Amino acid sequence: MMQNTQAVLLEVKNLTKNFGGLQAINDVSFVVPEGKLIALIGPNGAGKTTVFNVISNLFPASSGDVLLAGKSLVGLSPVQIASLGLIRTFQSARVFPGMTVLENVMVGRHRMMRSNLFDQMFWLPRNRRAEADIYARAGALLDIVGLQQFRDSHAIDLPMGAQKMLEVIRAVVACPKILLLDEPAAGLNDAETADLAGLLRAICDSGITIMLVEHNMPLVMGIADEVLVMETGRLIMSGKPHIVQRDPRVIAAYLGMEG
Amino acid sequence: MVEAVQIGLGGILQGCTYALLALGFSLVFRVTGVINLAQGGFCILGALLAHSFQAEFGWPILLAAAGGIAVTAMVAAVLGALVFVPGLSRVAHGNMLMLTAGLLALLTGAILLIWGSQPYALPPFSGDQPAVLFGITLPTQGFWIIGSMVSIVLALWWLLHKTNIGRALRACSENPAAAALMGISVPGMTLLSFILAAMIGATAGIVIAPITSLQFDTGSLFSIMGFIAVAIGGVGSFPGAVAGGLLLGLANQFATAYVSSLFSSALSVGLLLAILIWRPSGLFNVGKTRRQDVREEARVQKGLIRIARQAAWIWGGLGLVLAFTLPLWLPGGSLLSSLNITGILFIALIGLNILSGYAGQVSLGQAGFMAIGGYTAGWLAVQYNVAPILGVLAGTLISLICAVILALITMRLRGLYLALATLAFGLMIDSLAVGLDDITGGPSGLTGIPSFSIGGLDFSSPLRMYYLILGIILVSLFLMAGALRSDFGRALQAIRTDQTAAAALGINVPMYKLAAFAISAVFASLAGSLYAFDFNYLSPEMVGTTRSFELVTMMVIGGEGILLGPLLGSGLLTMLPTMFEALSVYKTFANGALLAFFFLYLPEGMFGGLVRAFRVIKNRVGHRPKRSLLHEGRV
Repeated sequence: MMQNTQAVLLEVKNLTKNFGGLQAINDVSFVVPEGKLIALIGPNGAGKTTVFNVISNLFPASSGDVLLAGKSLVGLSPVQIASLGLIRTFQSARVFPGMTVLENVMVGRHRMMRSNLFDQMFWLPRNRRAEADIYARAGALLDIVGLQQFRDSHAIDLPMGAQKMLEVIRAVVACPKILLLDEPAAGLNDAETADLAGLLRAICDSGITIMLVEHNMPLVMGIADEVLVMETGRLIMSGKPHIVQRDPRVIAAYLGMEG
Repeated sequence: MVEAVQIGLGGILQGCTYALLALGFSLVFRVTGVINLAQGGFCILGALLAHSFQAEFGWPILLAAAGGIAVTAMVAAVLGALVFVPGLSRVAHGNMLMLTAGLLALLTGAILLIWGSQPYALPPFSGDQPAVLFGITLPTQGFWIIGSMVSIVLALWWLLHKTNIGRALRACSENPAAAALMGISVPGMTLLSFILAAMIGATAGIVIAPITSLQFDTGSLFSIMGFIAVAIGGVGSFPGAVAGGLLLGLANQFATAYVSSLFSSALSVGLLLAILIWRPSGLFNVGKTRRQDVREEARVQKGLIRIARQAAWIWGGLGLVLAFTLPLWLPGGSLLSSLNITGILFIALIGLNILSGYAGQVSLGQAGFMAIGGYTAGWLAVQYNVAPILGVLAGTLISLICAVILALITMRLRGLYLALATLAFGLMIDSLAVGLDDITGGPSGLTGIPSFSIGGLDFSSPLRMYYLILGIILVSLFLMAGALRSDFGRALQAIRTDQTAAAALGINVPMYKLAAFAISAVFASLAGSLYAFDFNYLSPEMVGTTRSFELVTMMVIGGEGILLGPLLGSGLLTMLPTMFEALSVYKTFANGALLAFFFLYLPEGMFGGLVRAFRVIKNRVGHRPKRSLLHEGRV
């Protein structure tokens, strides 16, 4: 199991979520240590995305607790959760239509902006500095993912792989403490997936904790520090990727064999 | 007692009409999820057609009625096939409400062209002699009204539940995509529901025409009343439509009898607002609600309009020179006056554009804030000789307070309901403008408003007014451009299309909506005050709901989501009727036609179209790789 020396950033305690009679998550507990890249895997319908949605409080938990750096997130709005430094992405890339690629990255900085409406209307030095700073940051990130040449294009004209990258760097520019990525590799081809793997590892190495839900096993096995496996709403095991990969319970869950 | 029963009966008759209109709303809403504001236009069209068949051609009344309904159905078929059905697949959901408002304007304008502006009435179907029962008189027409409502309700029930067509219609309302996979023609069913609703509307107009007179612009009142009825009852519910209609009719009649006819529509709107707050889904919950916040990526297809900084400086400079010298070249005074109106309306449009064009919140009540600004400043100046600038500030403050209250009330409401609440607000202000005649001068307007002045400097001449307005516009544009190119503008645009993703980035969605709403109210109020000082007069229709619709049209045809775009719309719709006097009678018709055309074929508006055209020319002429418009600074 995990080392206790590591500082815990996100802690999920006995989380349960019922939709009517259906128990989507059943008594799930885990911790995400700071600075690690944790993957949550499991077959379709295992409740992975629901875990994300409950953590980011898109729907309230039926019971249980979620702690970010020791502070409970239960009952907080998605906006409050984001302002505490938990930023999430969505299963289908949700770039903002009607904005350029560059603007899409810049809007991610919102939670860190300290200039108020008055500064902005009069284009005061504080706002000018903030805008120059975010412009530089966004440009640098676009360079890293190779989207610099499309910076002035309409964001929804990008191919799906590029939109996924864009959504990831939009989240990164918000300087999150922890990044929750919901199936970032869905819909990507192998080359794009390899790029994404490199990007995620680099983000994590720069000090941002990442938790991702993913189906793509090679991606997960290649980059995750720790893997959590869910099946039908329960956490069935956790551990290092190569150990999880060989566990009979995991193989059974994926291949549908009994025992 | 007899009197109360008599009034109640009147209310039921009126309520039956509203209920019929509401049934049409519900039918179209069930199939498409759209509130079709054109409904009231079909109502008037049917009645006036029947009148012409009866009076001009001498047809018997029932035949004339059938003819009116049939021709209305044909008109609906054409409008539905050319505008409504294509709109559903191209126009963002929130904008469909504005598109149908455009259809209403189109119908109203066409009726004005054909029948003129005088009121019409049909003869009663069964003679003038009223029926008397226990001392209560009931016009025989009442039986026709109640009878047609009951038979339409039964026919609709039979159609929807007992026939194949009905099953197909219901399938489209439950799940259009699955219905299409099952081989149901969703556009066909949509068109059918649109035509059926128009026929129900025409029937309502025809049966009510003998007891109330109708004219070209009664349609918007009918649309609004039918809509209020349907919102009270629960949008999409047929029993709700009937109950809402009857309740509204009764409330209206009792308010007219016991309070004042001037306040009856304020009361209806108050009723609506109360229901929207208390039970946003209406009295009769249909059980399932259509999702209003579905992401509309597919429909936000209009291209991006971004102008490079250098080009912006060059064009901005040219524009400034033009704006400052324009009065020197203009021949007559009337052109200058309408330039001033263009500018004043543009000030209101700057605000509306921030709310709708950037933040994506539909508002159909913008003129309500113009009215608050105009009447406050005007009344203070006329009654208490308050300096105009203080009056403007007072009006702005009241508008701001109203906007914040309205936004807090409607914060829980989304999409459709927010638009409807703004419409209700506009209507409430309309009826207060008529009703509070001590302050507003009632229907005949507030006269004797002085010209604008600051200290000793007065702006009584159109030329001075021109430079005042220009100055205000430039300051406003400077401030808004600063905010919109910064974090504020990006946050608004993010909210426009995806509130969930915006919230996940820490954008406080309700707060930003509130800010956009407040800003739009301040600009509208300022424009309203200037309007009053410019005309030295203010009447309810100058700042009424028609004006709200006109502002929306101007914004859309000019180019929403582009700060300067609405200026072109405001200029076109204000200047054209001035330059070509003969055109002014086509104004309402053209408003509607232009709105529909731009929504369907040029959603980026005239401004976006121009930028695109320049880009094409630039790419043809110079063969540099295109980076942005006029990047090299050459024209």
